[in-house]
Amino acid sequence: MTFLIVLVVVAVLIVFWVVGLYNGLVGLRNRFKNAFAQIDVQLKRRYDLIPNLVETAKGYMKFERETLEAVISARNAASSAVGRAAANPADGQAVAGAMAAEGALTGALGKMFALAEAYPDLKANQNMALLQEELTSTENKVAFSRQAFNDAVMSYNTARERFPAAMFAGAFGFQPATLFEITVPVEREAVKVSFT
Amino acid sequence: MDFFATQERAQRHTTRLMALFALAVAAVVACVYVAVRLVLYKTETGGSGPFWNPDVFVGAATITLAVISLSTLYKIWSLRSGSEAIANLLGARRIAPNTTEPAERRLLNVVEEMALAAGMPVPSVVVLDKEPGINAFAAGWAPGDSIIGVTRGCLDRLERDELQGVIGHELSHILNADARLNLHLIGWLHGLMVIAFIGYWILRSTGGRSGGSDKKGGGAAIPLFGLALVVIGGIGVFFGRLIKSGISRQREFLADASSVQFTRNPLGLADALKKIGGAKDGSKIANPNAEQASHLYFSNGLKASWIGALSTHPPLEDRIRRLDPSFTGTFAATDPGPGFVAAVAGAGSIPGDEERLAAGVVGLGGHTIAARVGTVQATHVDYATQFLASLPAGLRERAREPATAPALLFALLLDHDPEVRIVQVKALEGAGRFLFDETQKAAAILATCPDAARLPLLDLALPALRQMSRPQWDAFRTTTHALIVADSRISLFELVLQRALVRHLGPVFGGTRAKGAPTAQLADRTTEVVLVLSALGHACGSDEPAAEAASFDAALRLLGGEAGAISFSSRDDCPPEVIDRALRSLAGLVPQGKKRLLEAATACVVADRKVTVAEAELLRAIADSLDCPVPPFLPGQEV
Repeated sequence: MTFLIVLVVVAVLIVFWVVGLYNGLVGLRNRFKNAFAQIDVQLKRRYDLIPNLVETAKGYMKFERETLEAVISARNAASSAVGRAAANPADGQAVAGAMAAEGALTGALGKMFALAEAYPDLKANQNMALLQEELTSTENKVAFSRQAFNDAVMSYNTARERFPAAMFAGAFGFQPATLFEITVPVEREAVKVSFT
Repeated sequence: MDFFATQERAQRHTTRLMALFALAVAAVVACVYVAVRLVLYKTETGGSGPFWNPDVFVGAATITLAVISLSTLYKIWSLRSGSEAIANLLGARRIAPNTTEPAERRLLNVVEEMALAAGMPVPSVVVLDKEPGINAFAAGWAPGDSIIGVTRGCLDRLERDELQGVIGHELSHILNADARLNLHLIGWLHGLMVIAFIGYWILRSTGGRSGGSDKKGGGAAIPLFGLALVVIGGIGVFFGRLIKSGISRQREFLADASSVQFTRNPLGLADALKKIGGAKDGSKIANPNAEQASHLYFSNGLKASWIGALSTHPPLEDRIRRLDPSFTGTFAATDPGPGFVAAVAGAGSIPGDEERLAAGVVGLGGHTIAARVGTVQATHVDYATQFLASLPAGLRERAREPATAPALLFALLLDHDPEVRIVQVKALEGAGRFLFDETQKAAAILATCPDAARLPLLDLALPALRQMSRPQWDAFRTTTHALIVADSRISLFELVLQRALVRHLGPVFGGTRAKGAPTAQLADRTTEVVLVLSALGHACGSDEPAAEAASFDAALRLLGGEAGAISFSSRDDCPPEVIDRALRSLAGLVPQGKKRLLEAATACVVADRKVTVAEAELLRAIADSLDCPVPPFLPGQEV
């Protein structure tokens, strides 16, 4: 009888242990999903700023239509890619797509700002300066939220790869998550937003 | 309703609940024994021996008790993160504190206003995106670590007034410690449920194999035993739900009444309930885990049970009628009830409350303040709304933004003394370029802001601060610590801020939470009480020792003989570190002890008939440590 009691108690403990591991992974996954929402809020704000920026620049940069159009199309592409990633941040491919689109947008913006150097009137425009200030600050906030997201992804991935959890993580549908990193080399330097 | 009485009642409920639960467990054990004995009769050759067999009973009882207690403990342990665990259980999404989506923004604004009015930290808000029904819930172990959840339907279909009524209802669950009791309920019911689950599991795993091969006639016994466990577990769960529903139903009326008191608008809440009644999805929650949390909701989350006693919420019509007596509904109004809500609702038209507050609580002692703990008057909600609107541009946004909220707190800690500032700026440089710049910007805005706004800003920033990652939190703590010790002494405000961070954010980032039922009597904590009251005396802002001592004496008089022969501690004897320790130890007081302490503290504060910012902040820190949210002192209030 004693043996049976021990057996049942051990079995119950093991069941709870596995359930605990499972719930722990669910919690960590929810945490990084929530963290992506933060990036999403910031990026959306950035996408809202860009059309205004282009609109303001249009008046001055008459001969750079292509560059401006490239910015707008990169913005639209990034917006929809990030939307897909935000719908399911556990989907590594969607996050990778969002990173690539973000990289392309940052590249296009960088090019536009480089060209803007040649337009002193634009540099003097108050509205432009305000928008740029707003953009820089938003990008800094994106960086902060991205750090939080990556930290959350790291702790999820670590928990997932640890020994007992690693045995069943895949079977229960816990896929490794992707870090939100800067993918385009030129983008590593924060967007040049000052005209000086 | 007296906050402290409610707290005590919640504790009594918990005790009664445990007794009922123990009864249910005992019944389950007895039933399991009978089942085991019958199975043994079948399998044992001959099935001899008397029915009562102590050995078998001990075995069956040990296993059953072990299973039930282990699974109960496990469930409560897995809910230790409280708010987050419930959010995960129901698949809720946290609303970003800086969201720009109009419906979400409106909801967060309502929550911020109501929380500030109650003087509690702003809870995080989650949304159940896949639920079109109108419902809401609150969960958490303490006011500082709780969430309010709403369904998508609630977000989209309710008007602002209605939303305010619903949020007031949920906040009152947090203030009345219902949210805490509810978490315990989930754990205990889980323990009973596991028996049924194991039976189901035995039934499934043996049912498939044993097929038609009945060896020795015992083959059918095991599945039969499984079936018996399912039935026994089912009965256990049934009684568990009966207990849960009984308690839950009582609390809903109380929460409705409190909500009306908060908003002074019974029709908002009544309209929300009417909308639920009229909506196709009603207040249904479709999530498979909805049952476990059914007693957390604003309104029935499951299909209305055909047995009234099993329903976790009173009938919608009853609730509406108490709020809006003119409601005819689909059911004939048989008994309009005692109308206690109607009495509170009437307060809207009776100028008493408002006038008293506007005129100041002149001549009233600590008793009145203690009576206000954990309640909100509509005037406070108005005040919170005005306060939020009066904040300098950009400040509220900074508090909501996870990236800038840390910088806002750094700015709050910046000293006026240029020499101290030099040390602080050094510490800030370690926090990184971005936070450094943001801190400077925030400090510039804060300079235009009265000191009284500091604590509410801290409360406002909490949801955003909860969004940090662990490494970010560690870095944040390092910097705040460096800023605090820059002048090699800890001011009162720094103490308050530090305590709030540790208490409200510590558990989020893996810190420990004070647990266990409070047992200490006031008399056991005399030293700490004297220290805290002395600190309050010193905070009066008067430089005259006589005035300070007079405040202290006023507090002592209220405590009567209990405090004994004690003298006022000098300023040097109660530095903030010591106060900090004293506050931590006072958190273990029983509710009535907390009440008396708060009364004494308030008497001390109001002895000179004016409330300084330092006094208000320290009083708030005391109340916060005791988990007794105190509504803010209204501006210009002469006490």
